[in-house]
Amino acid sequence: MSLLTLNNIEVVYDRVFLAVKGISIEVPPSGLVALLGANGAGKSTVLKAISGLLRAERGEVSRGNASFAGEDVLALAPPERVRRGLVHVLEGRRVFEHLSPAENLLAATTMHRDRARVARRLDEMFTLFPRLAERANSKAGYLSGGEQQMLAIARALMTEPKLILLDEPSLGLAPFLVDEIFDIVRRINAEAGVAVLLVEQNAVAALDLVQSAYLIEQGRIVMSGSAEMLRANPDIQEAYLAGGKAVDYHAVKHYRRRKRWLA
Amino acid sequence: MDSALLLELSINGACTGMMYALVAAGIVLIYKTSGVANLAQGALAMTGAYVAWIASTLVGLPMWIGAPLAALVMFGVGALIERLAMRRMIGQPLIMAIMLTMGLEIMLRGVMPGLLGGTVKKIDIGIPNAPIIAGDILINRTLLIGGGVSFAMIVASILFFNSRLGVVMRAVSDDQTASWSVGIRVERAIAVAWGLSAVMATTAGLLWGATQGVDWSLSLLLVKALAIAILGGLDSLPGVLIAGVAVGVIESLATGIIDPVIGGGSREVVASAIILATLLVRPHGLLGREHIERV
Repeated sequence: MSLLTLNNIEVVYDRVFLAVKGISIEVPPSGLVALLGANGAGKSTVLKAISGLLRAERGEVSRGNASFAGEDVLALAPPERVRRGLVHVLEGRRVFEHLSPAENLLAATTMHRDRARVARRLDEMFTLFPRLAERANSKAGYLSGGEQQMLAIARALMTEPKLILLDEPSLGLAPFLVDEIFDIVRRINAEAGVAVLLVEQNAVAALDLVQSAYLIEQGRIVMSGSAEMLRANPDIQEAYLAGGKAVDYHAVKHYRRRKRWLA
Repeated sequence: MDSALLLELSINGACTGMMYALVAAGIVLIYKTSGVANLAQGALAMTGAYVAWIASTLVGLPMWIGAPLAALVMFGVGALIERLAMRRMIGQPLIMAIMLTMGLEIMLRGVMPGLLGGTVKKIDIGIPNAPIIAGDILINRTLLIGGGVSFAMIVASILFFNSRLGVVMRAVSDDQTASWSVGIRVERAIAVAWGLSAVMATTAGLLWGATQGVDWSLSLLLVKALAIAILGGLDSLPGVLIAGVAVGVIESLATGIIDPVIGGGSREVVASAIILATLLVRPHGLLGREHIERV
């Protein structure tokens, strides 16, 4: 049985704008799944529907259901979903800027009563992210983009999740940092068995990381399958993996390849 | 002008300022967590004092039970204000939340004296009236003890913000959506802030009620508290300590030095002058936190 199942989810903003038009997704336990798509396709909205953070943006799930570990989560408030093991790393990192990295991590432990365990977990995070340990006492707002992203992931891990929703972790980062972040995601998944649902525009990097992926366009899933299958698909290569071959535009009359699906 | 008088005015002023600062600290506490400037803080102080009066005079409990009981009741009142009123303002423009607190202030100013009678109530918290005499100077005992208690409470709340719950509350003030995303019960944290803030207001109300009696005018503490909160920086508790002393001393000196010349009333001007001057010269106050922007 899968850990997270979305069934025909529809999301409406401001009661009029239909952003997600019936999406069904499955994430297996300890799975690594990506949600690919262009700007504005509805990827982040899907994540917010799962974590319950739509309400702050006047959005709501108008149809469909979502179950996590066999339980319907749509009725739960966001903090309760986190307590079930469902945590969301928001787009743009959203660290607590005026708190130090150590305090950022501490703030995410409200669900744990056992202080010793929190302290142990804090040490684990600082071993996993040595850069954060170096800057444990400066304000998080002054960390670099990569460090903030690591902090955001570490903060999510403090809640001891079963599934992490990762929204655009590569946003605005240098390529070598993207590699570092993705390595960490891979490690978290392999060592701790935490399932990951990754939203990415960087399809190349994402398809190298994940086992399977869904492609979203204009609020609908237009393709899904294993990472190899998607990588091999010529339409995906053309539209998202920056083409296969270079073309001499002087020499040929170039017709853009049409996508073979309806969006 | 002899130095003994100046010293006396300064010490008494500093103590008074500390007692104002306790009200201001409540404003800061709520602002730090929810980003709302609570304009009902003066009325909360007044209500707290009325509750203590009810407990001690109407019910007849001794003050050492009545005062903590009033604090407890007011914690509930504060949390209830968040639950019933402020929570509905989530997603609304900030100005609506601030106007709501102002409405509360005005309503409580009318309702409490309306229910309990407009005459000044006396509460006795057991501080003798005789001043402390140190050499040439007289120190008002009530002010000294009140200032000490206020100082202790503000320092305690500074320490509180470094505990886990305090860190969580700071996190909430930084980013509410991010707080939700990592499992913080944002509404509950804000309710706790309101509760604690009401307890601080009650303590201040008790201390002031013991010096001047309990009536609606206790809620005028709001003006002094706002001056201190704005001067100190709306989100800084250490700022409140410094600004509290500053406002208290300036007010006291103004009363002692300018009043005999112009015939009184300068005390009331000081607070509003400070609010204006701060907003014009240094809008984020003495120790208000900087806006972090990475370039």
